Amino acid sequence: MEKEKITKIYEDAEREVSEIDSSEKLQETKVKFLAKKSVLMSLLSSLGLLPPEERKSFGQSLNEVREKIARLFEVKEEEIRKVELQKKLQKEQIDITLPAKNMDVGGVNPFYVVKDEITDIFLNMGFEVADGPEVETDLFNFELLNIPKDHPARDMQDTFYISENVLLRTHTSPVQAHTMQAAEGKPIRIICPGKTYRRDDDDATHSHQFAQIEGLVIDKNINIGHLKATLELFVKKMFGEKREIRLRPSYFPFTEPSVEVDITCANCNGKGCSMCKGTGYIEILGGGMVHPNVLKMNGYDPDVYSGFAFGIGIERVAILRYGIDDIRKFYQNDVRFLHQYRKKA
Amino acid sequence: MLVSLKSVKKYVDLGNLSAEEVANGLTFAGIEVEEVVKLASGTNLVIGHILECEKHPDSDHLHILKVDLGPIYGVEQIVCGAPNARIGLNVIVARVGAKLPGGEIKKGVIRGVESNGMCCSLLELGVDSKYLRKEQTEGIEELPLDAEVGNEDVLGYLGLDDEILNLKVLANRPDLLSLYNVVREIAAIFSKEVKIPSYEVKDSFKTNLVVGSSSWRCSQFSGREIKGIKIKESPKFIKESLLAMGIRSINNIVDIGNYVMLLTGQPLHMYDADKLDKAELIAKDDLVCDFVALDEQTYKVEKDDIVITSNNKAMCLGGVMGSLACAVDDKSTHIYIEAASFDGASIRHTSNRLGLSSESSQRFVKGTNHYQSEEVINFASYLIKEYCEGKEFSDIVKYQKEEKPVSQLKCHYSYINNRLGTSFSKNDIKNVLNRLYFNVDKENGDEFEVSIPAFRLDVTCEADISEEVIRVLGFENVKSELPLLDAKVGGLSLRQSRLRKIRDYLALNGLDECLTYSLVSKENSSKFNLLHEEEHYKLLNPLTDEREYFRTHILYSLLESAEYNVNRQNKDLKLFETSNMMSLSSRSEHLAVVLVGADYVRDLMVKSPFGFFHMKGIVEGIFALLGIESSRYKFERYSSYKEELHPGKSAKIIFQNVCIGAFGELHPNALKALGFKSSVVALEMDLEPLLNAKVSLVKMTPISKFPTVSRDLAMLVSKSVSASDIIRVIKTSGKGLVKEARIFDVYEGSGIADDVKSVAVNIVIGKEETLTDKEITDLLDKIKYELAKSLNATIRM
Repeated sequence: MEKEKITKIYEDAEREVSEIDSSEKLQETKVKFLAKKSVLMSLLSSLGLLPPEERKSFGQSLNEVREKIARLFEVKEEEIRKVELQKKLQKEQIDITLPAKNMDVGGVNPFYVVKDEITDIFLNMGFEVADGPEVETDLFNFELLNIPKDHPARDMQDTFYISENVLLRTHTSPVQAHTMQAAEGKPIRIICPGKTYRRDDDDATHSHQFAQIEGLVIDKNINIGHLKATLELFVKKMFGEKREIRLRPSYFPFTEPSVEVDITCANCNGKGCSMCKGTGYIEILGGGMVHPNVLKMNGYDPDVYSGFAFGIGIERVAILRYGIDDIRKFYQNDVRFLHQYRKKA
Repeated sequence: MLVSLKSVKKYVDLGNLSAEEVANGLTFAGIEVEEVVKLASGTNLVIGHILECEKHPDSDHLHILKVDLGPIYGVEQIVCGAPNARIGLNVIVARVGAKLPGGEIKKGVIRGVESNGMCCSLLELGVDSKYLRKEQTEGIEELPLDAEVGNEDVLGYLGLDDEILNLKVLANRPDLLSLYNVVREIAAIFSKEVKIPSYEVKDSFKTNLVVGSSSWRCSQFSGREIKGIKIKESPKFIKESLLAMGIRSINNIVDIGNYVMLLTGQPLHMYDADKLDKAELIAKDDLVCDFVALDEQTYKVEKDDIVITSNNKAMCLGGVMGSLACAVDDKSTHIYIEAASFDGASIRHTSNRLGLSSESSQRFVKGTNHYQSEEVINFASYLIKEYCEGKEFSDIVKYQKEEKPVSQLKCHYSYINNRLGTSFSKNDIKNVLNRLYFNVDKENGDEFEVSIPAFRLDVTCEADISEEVIRVLGFENVKSELPLLDAKVGGLSLRQSRLRKIRDYLALNGLDECLTYSLVSKENSSKFNLLHEEEHYKLLNPLTDEREYFRTHILYSLLESAEYNVNRQNKDLKLFETSNMMSLSSRSEHLAVVLVGADYVRDLMVKSPFGFFHMKGIVEGIFALLGIESSRYKFERYSSYKEELHPGKSAKIIFQNVCIGAFGELHPNALKALGFKSSVVALEMDLEPLLNAKVSLVKMTPISKFPTVSRDLAMLVSKSVSASDIIRVIKTSGKGLVKEARIFDVYEGSGIADDVKSVAVNIVIGKEETLTDKEITDLLDKIKYELAKSLNATIRM
């Protein structure tokens, strides 16, 4: 009789728990079945009315059922929690296309991208970076580079003068002389990036200020082949493995022989196009073997030492590489221009 | 240098070589050909003869012509607008279908009259107007009466069937300002024979002319007297050659001077002998006088200008321009001809100073061959005899300061190959040198002696010889090989890598890296110089006032970049630049930063207007980046009489007791002057002390095993008390137990008195053992007591 009651209670609990769909309902039902005033608990109070021999087994069944019901609730509770969490998370969904809270990265004038990249290529080849002043003396800018007073080559470089013997350097080559004098006859392997100035009116292709990277290697038994190989390596790193170089004779007073270095046009792969004016090649830098007079004047015996030097125009490389149409863009710093470029990895 | 291919071909047989092939050959031998152009062009051309010429009924300037085009094409009607069209004229006719530089000629009806072709001027065939006389540019070309009507090779007939190579003559090769030397060069490159004629005109009398020089600036002066010349038009071949090489024809004597110069590189000058006071031509450089030149302008002759004098009167500005007083004119019959050598630098000074530059002066400036004057005078004499009816030629008188130097060089085959990275045989080398007129004289094993041709002023050492070899044999023979150098640690110096690190740090934190000009105007050179004034380098020869001073600081240039951007609707900016600054007294690397508007990028939806503390954060970040502890630098209030920075929102950066920079929000007046509508924060900093700062190795501090205690303290203090005062008092009274003290709130406004603020501080207390409650309470009491005592603070909790 009492046993039937217990079974009924369990069946009721099982049914009602299965119908629960919220945590409020769960609490309600839990009270109904497990609280002190629940039917089950009221049966417990009737325990004393039973004969002693039945009390024990009835009590045991009561406890068992209570525990079973409690477990029903535990399982249900877990289930409800999961469902409700799921609902909550669903409600918290955001528009992932909204703007980010950025870890910001700035734009970089492509001038610096190229300058740093060229510098790094030569650093990796074991070069060091030398430095020299932008306000130079006539001695270093010209005389020590085999360009004596009234040398016609001075007309090639229209110069800003500060006084008769002080000027704004017209090229980074004076750093060659500074470096040689400081190295006192020891081997040299340097590059020098720096700003240079010439008395040119600014337009799309001319700038009174521009920058070069000078390179200088001095040691015993240096020859043109070494210059060629070094520049080949540089060009492939900078412009891509497929680029080839070509040397053309030229003239600089401080190198002998002197060369212009062309690379195969990246636009047409050397076939000839409008960018390379049909030649398949684009001129990118100048160089040559250090003139014996320059070695001598700066403390190296040209019978023992030889060397090569080269000069690369930073803006020129950037213009070629990025298709920049006006050199003045580098100096305007329009952020819409700067934001197109980032630090090289 | 413009070189006529047709003229070249007179002296060397180039076979089937095209102009492009010749140009390529020159370019790869180091003589860059900048362009190859046709002197003139046109198809369907024919020589015609005007049979009839009537006025067009509907036009006041057009004529209706009947033109005989010869037996093949017959007579055509052509409407022509040229004022000089008339019966009997021989003209160039472009027939229907002709392709001219300006377009194609089509059959047409001009104001109701049919026209089948066009009568042309040379301009219409593409000849540059600078080579033409005025009348040639204003009407159709008038051909000689004997021109063959019906001849279709019009360009050939006119000598315009030529291609012009534009040579970029570099400073070391002035010899190439001579057609003969260009011919020699081309012949050497293509291994061809050269046929350059030489002329001699024997003297028929002895001249009284005395030549000389009292100046080192004229090392050689040769002259000849010629009688019985007649001034007239030049022969066609001279006119054509001059035209092709870019010089206008004047008359036979002037043209011969120019022609000989173009061919030989030696400028000539002609004097009317009858107009000179005295039969002498003496070069001097110490005359000071007024000089009326051929162009009828008066120039001031100064000391060191080379003048050719006669009876101590200036008759010629040596190498630059002759005097009007002794100029050859239409009536001249008796001349002196001069072939001299002048110092290039002197000519350059004179020519630059007076703004006079000519084909002659340019050749002297670059350098001429001093040892060919007699040949050149003979060549000119021959032409004068042939084309100026020159009758009597004197002996050549000559002044020469120095004897021709023996230009011999000792060379080594091994040196040449070692320098070039090549393995040319002795024969290869000898052969190339011979082609270039360098004669290998003596040979002894590896060593040989080579004589240098007189026109090659640029070759003076063994290295030069190596260049001659490689430029003809080609750089493709050079073995490309990386140098075997001693291994060493290259890389950036500490200073260089710190600078790189600072630049990377700023860029990676969202600032844009800029580049601005070093040259600025006088006015701008001192604007926004937040550091001490230094004396600027000032240019002697600026291009404009805008770029006259070498800047000593970056900031103003960067503010200009900001302004440029703001004017283009780029309103929120974070700009920086590092650059090397130089003044009369110092040289150092600077950093400037400009923040404009608000920081949107960190959070596009929350606008955070830039202020003082953004910049302070950047500065502290740089110090931290380099490992410089905050105890080594401090900020002090910035003050300046200039209204550039907001006096209350600006600071100086003091590092090792020296002010190395300053920053702050812009003064409202400065904002207005620069046209900024939003807040702007600016910084200028001398990075040099940071780049060179000693930073000690960090020895590890053990991390305490004992927990720290955190307590908050709030107080009311006078507004004049600074945050750093409060922190200092807390730290000093905390006797090493205070590990950290951090302000986390400042409040001013309603609820508290006007002259005070409420400040809240978080204090972290720690010790190398467990702290007791009593210790903590005692410490806090001590701190509160000290704050009240020294800062008059009222503790609120």
